Order: sequence, then structure tokens, then C-alpha cells
Amino acid sequence: MARVFNWQIGREMSYWYPEARPKKQFAAIFDTNKCIACQTCTLACKTTWTSGRGQEYMLWNNVETKPYGFYPLGWDVRLMEKLGAQRWDGSRYEGRTLFEAAEAGERVLGWRPEEIDYAHPNVGEDDCTKTIDKGAHYHGFHEAWFYYLARICNHCTYPACLSSCPRASIYKRPEDGIVLIDQGRCRGYQECIKACPYKKTFFNPMTGTSEKCIACYPKIEQGLQPQCFVNCIGKIRMAGFISTPDQARPDNPIDYLVHIRKVALPLYPQLGLEPNVYYIPPRHVPRPYLAQMFGPGVDQAIAACNKSADDPDLSALLALFGSTEWVMPRWKRVGDTVMGLREDGRELVRVPVREPVWILKALDQARGVSRMNIT
Amino acid sequence: MTTGRTLPDRPAAAGAALASLAIGLLAIGGGCAAPPPPAAPEVQAVWRDTIPEGPEEAAWQAIPKYTADLIPQDLVEPRLLKPSTPRLAVQAATDGTRVAFRLAWDDATQDERPGAARFTDACAIQLPQRTAPDLPDPQMGQAGRPVEITFWRATWQAAVAGRDDTIRSLYPGAVVDHYPFEAPPLQPGSEAQQAFATRYAPAAALGARREGPRDRPVEDLIGEGPGTLRPADKLLSEGTGRRTAKGWEVLIVRPLPNGLAPGGRSQIAFGVWDGAQAEAGARKMRSGWVPMSIEARGTQAGIAPRAAAGAQGGGR
Repeated sequence: MARVFNWQIGREMSYWYPEARPKKQFAAIFDTNKCIACQTCTLACKTTWTSGRGQEYMLWNNVETKPYGFYPLGWDVRLMEKLGAQRWDGSRYEGRTLFEAAEAGERVLGWRPEEIDYAHPNVGEDDCTKTIDKGAHYHGFHEAWFYYLARICNHCTYPACLSSCPRASIYKRPEDGIVLIDQGRCRGYQECIKACPYKKTFFNPMTGTSEKCIACYPKIEQGLQPQCFVNCIGKIRMAGFISTPDQARPDNPIDYLVHIRKVALPLYPQLGLEPNVYYIPPRHVPRPYLAQMFGPGVDQAIAACNKSADDPDLSALLALFGSTEWVMPRWKRVGDTVMGLREDGRELVRVPVREPVWILKALDQARGVSRMNIT
Repeated sequence: MTTGRTLPDRPAAAGAALASLAIGLLAIGGGCAAPPPPAAPEVQAVWRDTIPEGPEEAAWQAIPKYTADLIPQDLVEPRLLKPSTPRLAVQAATDGTRVAFRLAWDDATQDERPGAARFTDACAIQLPQRTAPDLPDPQMGQAGRPVEITFWRATWQAAVAGRDDTIRSLYPGAVVDHYPFEAPPLQPGSEAQQAFATRYAPAAALGARREGPRDRPVEDLIGEGPGTLRPADKLLSEGTGRRTAKGWEVLIVRPLPNGLAPGGRSQIAFGVWDGAQAEAGARKMRSGWVPMSIEARGTQAGIAPRAAAGAQGGGR
């Protein structure tokens, strides 16, 4: 194994291949506080990419209800149980990554879902952690909670799927860091399925190969955001490219939210893959649970989000989510307006930091009619 | 006077009498089956003018059987740490241009359906691409010194036997509302429809049909070390396998290797995968190189008597 640096865990770690970062790294930010689990993203992906034979069960994009929702069943808790309790020391992870915890004869610590584990996505998930009394309502703090976690492939800097493939059929594109399975080379050994902790590679029984999210690379190559991003009605997603922390640029939206404001966090960073989908964590969920899922930056991220209304730049950038199909490599706020820009500074989109609010009176005196509050 | 230790004399007459009895028993013929041939110390491809076409043919009963002991592949990750199939029975026959291998092994479960966390039973033979005294590594060959591998798998055998290329053939309870490539106005089976369907099967579009319809349950491969397996330029081998009460019997027929003529010698290696043990790729039971002789026509000395029925040519 080689020694590589993983900034998300604040230290070097062992990996099957030497460190070879792409020229640009595809990355995304999902704001969990906005997601309503409408599954429009899931269907956008499904209809675009996985309508073929053998792909019926595949959800390259899925949205699950945490803490009891999984696709496939128990994808994260089973691995947590196998890895065992580990420890962070501040922002440095002192525990073992999946590569460091690999068992004898293996490249990665993993587990293999059975067919049945894929059989019931979203069935029975929207149950709270306790019964809600009649008349109960939100009054500032939830004792009972759940939230929606939208998931795609994390296009990791150190992919477990890639490192586990004995045929080197999985590769990371040097131009954008998107992780792909070479369909001409894959022989369907399913090692990647066992290794990927996020369970985002899938075996196609009709072609005999494994398949995965491709980050809609034909769109990325044209400067466009993937299908699951642009179809999101909650506007929770933004796609772009992330720098390493030492190269972070304030005018790069992803860098700004991840590195500078630190409001978006990786999913299970302790596993050691340096995943590149970042989550603005849900504000109402118990912190120990969030710390296990998103690492030690949770408190800081939520504190910043809680003040976003009074933070012109942060609220401006959040307003750019879902504002255009174009990938926005740069951004800029001028007063109450925020702009998404091309790399060369040309404008792609311009939106108000705050949408104007119009309050219509129930009685329209000019027309002599009353309006329902939904009209 | 003799010195030193000597073996006890065996009366010549008694030996001759035993030989006569053996010949006499063989000559009775008809309803009396020939005794099985002795176990072979190496893989012996015996001469037959017509090599058997299936693993079940009675002709195999008269062909010497070599038992290959198998060991787990534990040299490269991912390794197989828990031994499964312990041995493989190998028989071989040649007609001077092709060589047929009959492989039989015990396997309690029949694993022939592909799926998530499902793995196929399989076997393979491996020969050096160039017949020479110095052999490439037995583990898939090595760079610049390739090996030729013929691979049989149970999922392909099921496809050859006529399993439908539908998800319902794998999951009988599956319900599919709609495939976009089967929707009007596309005509079923038309060129346009096929082209559209290929968009949804990228592996097939690249010619890497690992599952689905096929006319042979085998494929020919070239290896130059672990992880380097690639399809051979042409598929020359044929094969067929059948499930028995105890396990699998598989026949693989391929051309004689380059530089190996009847009367020559080479080496061969074997691999077996047990689907029920999640064996695939490098997780397999394998042998080292095993010596192999290719018999020439008319030189069948040492070959056991043929069975009464089914054996072809190559008389003693």
C-alpha cells in the first residue's frame, strides 16, 4: 500500500495506489435542510440512465429517510458495526480507515449486500424515532426527528471500489475526477460492490458487469450540472469542482462552502475515501448522530448555517443553488444580487439574494373577490 | 552364491498364468465392463480418431483420470483464504488437431443464476501460449509470457440451454412496467430497436457480453499475470457442461496449443470456482502446472483398455 494524504481526516493514510489527484475534482453540495424526499432526483436519474434490463433495481441516486432508511438495507450501520468504535482527536482521525482495517486477503474492509437488501427502498422509512402525541407540534426542538439524505456516488478521491478491483476496471478521470467502471473491461467479480461503503456500485445481472453513477459526465463535459441536480425541485444541490484546502479559492462556490465557511461536510469521512459530495447537515438532528455521519465539523457547520440569514455572502451563495443548469465555477455578490460566473468571469446567471415576498390580501377589492391563501 | 539383499523370486509360470487370466477376462466381452483405467500420474491426452462430444459419453470410462489437487489462490489480493473444492478429476483426449478435457468435481450447490451477491460455478484450463521447457508463472502467466485460458461457467451453460434473456427468467416475480427501447413506434427486433436497446446495455455495446444470450458456454482468454486477463483474438474453443448428482462434469475442447504436436509434452493448470462460496476472479481454487502428454496416433502404449461401448479408434 502507498501512503497518501487525506485532508478530511487530517493525516496520511494507507491506500492501494499512490496519491494522484485529478486536474479538477467533481464535487457537489447537498443541503439536507431543504430536501423533502420528493424523489424527483431519483426519477431523473432513473429515466436518464437506468431504464435497461438488469438495471430495474438500481438507484444510482436515491433519497432515504434517516435514521431508519437505507438503500441497500443497513448500508452504513452494518459497516460501522464491522469497523467498530473509532476515535477522532479534534479534526484528526485517530481511528482506522477502511483501507487500514482491511482483513487478511482483502484490499478494503467491506461487506456484500444480498439481493433482498435492495428489495424495499423507502418502504416504511418515514417513521419517527418515537410516537408523536396528538396535537404535538414544532416548538423549537425536536425530540423525535428524522431527515432526508440524498445520495449519489461520491466520486471519491480515494475510491474503495477502484482500489478493490483486481482488474483495474475502475478508473478516475484525470480531467474531472469522475469515477467510472470500464464496461468493456469489467468481468463482474463484484469486488467493488463489497468494497464501496456507500454501496453505489451495482451488479447488472443481464450484462454481467457492475455499473455506477457517472456524474452525468456527458453533461459535465459541456459545463452542465447532472440530471439529479437540475431536476431538484427543492434546489438543494450544487455541482462544481473542489480544490484541496491549501488551494481553496473564495470565488469558487464549492471551495467557499466547504473550505472557507466549512458549512458543508463529507459523508462518513472517517472511512478514508475523501468523498466529494458534501452535506450541509440537518440542524435539528442530535449532534452525536451527526458527528458520526459527517465528522467533527458538525457544530461549526450548523452554527454558521443558523446565522446565514444575517450573513450576506452565505445566504447569497445558498440562493445560487438550483438557479441554473450551468456549472458555476465562480460566483460573486454585488449588493442584494448574486451571480454565477464562468471560469473567465462571464456571467451565467443572476438572482436576488432574497426573493421578494408579496403578501396578497384575502379580499381583492379591485375585483371584488376573495382569494384562498393558495391562489 | 549371492551377496546382499535380493527380491524374492516370482515364479515365471505364475506370472504368465495371471496374465492369461487377465486377457481372458477382457476377451469375455459383451456384458462384462472393462475395469477402470489406472489413475494417471499426469494429464494424458490419449489418441482417439473421434474425440468424445460430451462429458457424459461412455468413451471417457476408458480414458485415464488424473486427479488435480487444488489449493486456494492466496498469492494476490483479493485472496481466497478458506479452501473449498479440494480436487478436480481430469481426463483428456486428442484427435491430433484438437484436445478435449473432461473436468469433473464435486459441488453440493448448483450456482448458475447471476445476480447481486450471486456467483457462478466455473472452471478453467490454462496452457502456456508457447510450448517450451521454461514455463510462465502458473498464476495467470506473466508479462511477455502469456498463457491461454479457456473458461467455462455455469451461468453461460444455462444461457446456452435456453434460459430467456429477461429479468423474469432470473427473478420470476419481477414486474416491469416499461422499457423505453421496447416502446412504440419501435418495431420489435428492428435495427432501430436493437440500436436503442444497446444504449441501455453499455457492456453489450462494447462487446463485453458477460451474461445474456450466447451459443457457447466457454470463452478463450489470454493472461499475462494477475489482473491482465483479456479476450483472445478468436473464440476457438467449444465446451459443454452438465450437472450431476454430485457436482459438475464439463468438457472443454480447444485446438492443440502452438508448438505442441501429437507425441509432445507440455504443462497445464486448472481453476475451479464455487459460486456458493462467493468465488469469482482471483478468489478461486487452483492448481500449479501439471505435466501433460499428447499421445500420437498408433503409439497408445500404456493406455488402459477401452470400454466395450462408445470408444472410438486408437486400438491397442
